[in-house]
Amino acid sequence: MEEIDSPRGRVRVRDLQNNRVVWESYDQLLLATGAVPVCPDLPGADAVEICGVNTLQSGIELRRILDDRNPKNGIVVGGGYIGLEMAEALVRRGMAVSLVSRSPEVMKTLDPDMGHLVSQALRDFGVTLYLEETLIGFETKSGKITGVVTDRRSLPADIVILGLGVRPNTELAAAAGIPLGERRSIRVNELMQTFVAGIWAAGDCAETFHLVSRKPYYLALGTIANRQGRVAGVNLGGGSATFPGVVGTAVTKICEVEVARTGLQESELRELGIEWASAVIRSRTKAGYLPGAGKITVKVLAEKGSGRLLGGQIVGMEGSAKRIDTLATALHAGFTVEEMINLDVGYAPPFSPVWDPVVIAAREAAKLV
Amino acid sequence: MSTERLIVVGGDAAGMSAAAQAKRRNPGLEVVVFERGPHTSYSA
Repeated sequence: MEEIDSPRGRVRVRDLQNNRVVWESYDQLLLATGAVPVCPDLPGADAVEICGVNTLQSGIELRRILDDRNPKNGIVVGGGYIGLEMAEALVRRGMAVSLVSRSPEVMKTLDPDMGHLVSQALRDFGVTLYLEETLIGFETKSGKITGVVTDRRSLPADIVILGLGVRPNTELAAAAGIPLGERRSIRVNELMQTFVAGIWAAGDCAETFHLVSRKPYYLALGTIANRQGRVAGVNLGGGSATFPGVVGTAVTKICEVEVARTGLQESELRELGIEWASAVIRSRTKAGYLPGAGKITVKVLAEKGSGRLLGGQIVGMEGSAKRIDTLATALHAGFTVEEMINLDVGYAPPFSPVWDPVVIAAREAAKLV
Repeated sequence: MSTERLIVVGGDAAGMSAAAQAKRRNPGLEVVVFERGPHTSYSA
């Protein structure tokens, strides 16, 4: 799509196979244009082949480059989900891998103390971390990338993968006068309608609402896109559905370590002016006497005074990440940490200690609020 | 709502979820999806 003409109810689209341009008219229009990777405008950036791995096609292209050239040194810039998963993938191919991130720890969607556990897991896996370093450019030789330059050093590289996050793909919506919100995502109501009649939006191009902060929020995750798309589709098909918002739940796995987060983290609470208490506990993923009982660290954040659950983070071995769903559900329900203590969660030795690690953390937090 | 022609721009998670839901609810609806890339959503 190249243009939205909302007064006349039509869009201009180009067929990329034959370059033919046509106007297509609509009665209702759904914008599901997604997000695009952030590509820095830095010296040598033209030579970067992999700027974000955010589509099936970009993954296929990356794989082809790796298979064709068999590079030895890989550098990943960015310590988020894409950066970490790509670092792991390159190490598994036997490459020497460095990761550059501006933050003090990787995974800045975790508090630094929990992010530290992930940084350590990456180092243990063989990834060299250059933290608190800013990317300032790329070294190239006859159009090919040969290295990455940070504010502290130059690192040689055969391949560079950028994972610097995404921004909503909303230029055409903005040009058509469709109101934007947080981080220039398309503002929508609970039905997924934009504020222009007949035009809807869903997924990574659309804004959402944070159910804990009670504020508009932007979060580009496939889970949210599926749910928002469903709601838009139900309404467009004549049914009735609403999308109330998100609590910010995400899980990932780096090497053997599972990582999960939900709700608000310390940096967000500071910005919102909410006073909180936090508890960090270490437990096991199964009864401690069973073989295969792995380490798990759980952090729970709760509001001072009220005891309302605000968020939680988990780092641990197999069986850790999906425990975040208990915290996510409690956030949707608006529970206090006190109310979580008596949650009737499942127990048998192969699955959990007698006290679930999440409940242990809630119990500790309840003592501090 | 009596939509006649729905255009969806983007054929990944949100776009294909919506297109499928809308068509299932209202089989008479004409649903057209435009996608820039060579693939539609691989997990919808």
